[in-house]
Amino acid sequence: MIRRRAVLAGLAGALSTPAVVRAADPVVIRFGFANVGVDNRQFSGGNAIAVGHAEHYFEKELADRPEVKIEFFFFKGAGPAVNEAFANGQLDFASQGDLPQVVARANGLKTRQLAAGGAHAPMYLAVSPNSDIRSVKDLKGRKVAIFRGTNNHLAAVKVLKANGLTERDFQGINMDEASTSAALATGNIDAAFGNFGLLLLREQGLAKIVYTTKGDNPAFERQATLIADDGFVAKHPDLTQKIVTALVKAALWASQEENREAFFEISARSGRPAAVYRADFADQPLKYRNSPLIDDYLIEQYRVQARQAKEYGLIRREVNVDGWFDPQFLKVSLKQLDLENYWTRYDASGKPAGKS
Amino acid sequence: MRRAWRGAVLPLALLAVWELASRTGMVDPRILPPIERVARTAIDQVVNQDLLGNLGASLLRDMIGFLLGTFAGLAVGTLLGLSRLADRLLMPSFNGLRQIAILAWIPLISMWFGVGEAAKVVFIMAAAFIPVVLNTHEGMRSASRQLVEVARTLTFTRWQVLTRLYLPSALPSIATGVHLALIYAWVASIGSEYFMAVGPGIGGLIIAGRERFEMDLVMLGILLLGLVGYLINRAASSFEARLLRWRTA
Amino acid sequence: MTRAAQALVAPPTRVLPTVPQAIVALLFPTALLVLWSASARYGWLPPQILPAPDEVLSALGDLAANGDLARDTGISLLRVVEGFAVGAVLGLLLGIAMGLSPTVEDYAKPLFTAFAQVPTLGWIPLLMLLVGIGEPLKILVIAKAAFVPVTLNTLAGVRAVPSAYSEVGAVFRFNRRQMLTKVVLPAAVPPIFTGLRYGLTHAWNALVAVELLASAEGLGYLLVWGRQMFWLDTMMGAMLVIGIVGFSLDRGMAAIEARLQRWRLA
Repeated sequence: MIRRRAVLAGLAGALSTPAVVRAADPVVIRFGFANVGVDNRQFSGGNAIAVGHAEHYFEKELADRPEVKIEFFFFKGAGPAVNEAFANGQLDFASQGDLPQVVARANGLKTRQLAAGGAHAPMYLAVSPNSDIRSVKDLKGRKVAIFRGTNNHLAAVKVLKANGLTERDFQGINMDEASTSAALATGNIDAAFGNFGLLLLREQGLAKIVYTTKGDNPAFERQATLIADDGFVAKHPDLTQKIVTALVKAALWASQEENREAFFEISARSGRPAAVYRADFADQPLKYRNSPLIDDYLIEQYRVQARQAKEYGLIRREVNVDGWFDPQFLKVSLKQLDLENYWTRYDASGKPAGKS
Repeated sequence: MRRAWRGAVLPLALLAVWELASRTGMVDPRILPPIERVARTAIDQVVNQDLLGNLGASLLRDMIGFLLGTFAGLAVGTLLGLSRLADRLLMPSFNGLRQIAILAWIPLISMWFGVGEAAKVVFIMAAAFIPVVLNTHEGMRSASRQLVEVARTLTFTRWQVLTRLYLPSALPSIATGVHLALIYAWVASIGSEYFMAVGPGIGGLIIAGRERFEMDLVMLGILLLGLVGYLINRAASSFEARLLRWRTA
Repeated sequence: MTRAAQALVAPPTRVLPTVPQAIVALLFPTALLVLWSASARYGWLPPQILPAPDEVLSALGDLAANGDLARDTGISLLRVVEGFAVGAVLGLLLGIAMGLSPTVEDYAKPLFTAFAQVPTLGWIPLLMLLVGIGEPLKILVIAKAAFVPVTLNTLAGVRAVPSAYSEVGAVFRFNRRQMLTKVVLPAAVPPIFTGLRYGLTHAWNALVAVELLASAEGLGYLLVWGRQMFWLDTMMGAMLVIGIVGFSLDRGMAAIEARLQRWRLA
């Protein structure tokens, strides 16, 4: 009896010591971006997460944990490629848009939404400079580039619907940002849905924008967030907290109007000039676009995205957004940095909520 | 005109027309850059942009996929060739799966292996695997009746039967299979670079050239592809010849 | 001799001789199907890696129901037929020309060989820059893919006319044209046909390649759409149809070849 207890105690002791060793085990955090810079530059732009990467907020936050490394990956294949990586356990965190996230969830991918990162973003329709296309309605029967599976895709589908069209009414060619730019510039396609890449073409005089969701129905806005693999969050809640805190710090910096130009300059490291980001953010306060908050509005937006994605046949199963958003890390960061009332919370209908 | 020189006439004429059209602006020089520009890009690529590194990366990936696929193919092909049961059970399924154009497997392999070198190597493996299996199977199956009789009278052990009888007899077919595998693996490695996540390689260079509208880069890439393809083919042929040198019949 | 060695050199007996081959062929796929269904049911593999087999079928069914499947298959087939026709005709002409005239071969073969060294995939981005991404691109790419094997096999076929046949032609005092039409071409038909068969296979593969890269419709396009939207069931369904069409095309050619052979031996 005593011997058995001694053996058990010995075993317990042996099993518990590895925990001490485990704390110092090297960990590599793999962070993905659902976009890539011009010419494959390993930079993103236009949101707080991009700033977090470019200005090393994440590394600085992890500085007190020397055994932890963070690696960044930029995917030309955008949201769908990030999904492939998540599905194969090759990513822990990502900056990704709404549609691909909903698609992944519909397929059973176990992820968790941690913070907003590029919410309320506009989408654009661009055509050749001397094209006769004046509006979305003129797209009928034309060759249009549309990057399927990205949040541009969902926004485009909604806009088309509002104009009485579907994807079937034109020749939709699936192309990534770089191919779209090349094809539009040479007139191989008549029009393209997208965002920063199209603004860049306009800067270069190679395209004109005939429609944007900015100023139109806010329901057409695209959302993007910091999303994480469930398994990683469960295994390393401490590291997850650090990542979120770093993001909040970057978001704070990127929400201050005095940093406006600097924000565009940092975004320009992606290879797209500051003018592109200046145009994209025109007439909108930084605080609105770069808020990291998971408020009722964001959750409601995702609920709508999920419902409409199913309605338009983009996903096959219902997606329930309940339980997907995990604001606990955000709460801790906001409290720690005393920013609980800095950003405005919006309620489900989009109006600023009372102080909560 | 000397016969050997005749072959050079058309290519030289083509190059002359190209240079003329490009320099005089008859064709947009962006679409058809002057030959000198292509040469200059080539030098720039080698010196400044690590062209050799890209080439090395493509070749390395190619070799790894080729070797893995070939060895797997030899093993499976031998099994199917020697075992009637395995042949009847598995060959129809293999033939069925192989009807699906190899490139059509890329999206699925991408889904199953994610965004890394592994997916590319798996694809190249598959491309090499198929011809090796088919040809090994065929070679083993058609071992000459006389040789089989001889082996029976000589009371070989199982290992000896394999190595002294079937393997040499199947060698011509196997050699053909490996030759094909070399070619298919090279094409597959380019395909993997086109369709799977970005990494170093000649295929990636060509895609970048297309996106940036740099025709000279695309042409350089094509020249390299052709050159490497040709060299691989020659190497495979001479290896095949050397392997089969001892055969008289 | 050990038993194991004996088994390897035994005269071939039929394994499971009483079971017809058709049944044996289905055993392995059936087992796989069962495993696959079980995996989907019990969640051995996540659904984003392996959808349930009935989902693949229902995805195909959906596509068939709303006409997409017929449309995309039809477009792909049309492209292959058009591209193959162009490439095959050009290949036949060049092959015959080179085969009959050593002069033509001297001039053309080196350029042709250089051209043939670059795989079809390599030509696609170049052609995209030259002719854009519309139908002409697809036709050109498919034509190139068919052109090379047809030319090579036609050349070999025309070359390899057995001397016995030419001698007979000489005995009959055939002129050039009669030699060509009564001796050379008929004798070259089998290798030419082999070339056509390879050409069609290459053409079909090239179609998939070009549709994966730049297309708004077709079976390759379905694959891309499925990949972007993470619809593995659609992807697998498209792969299945691609396999079936590819197989049917080849079977069709084989049947024509068999018909031609029968005429030959008669």
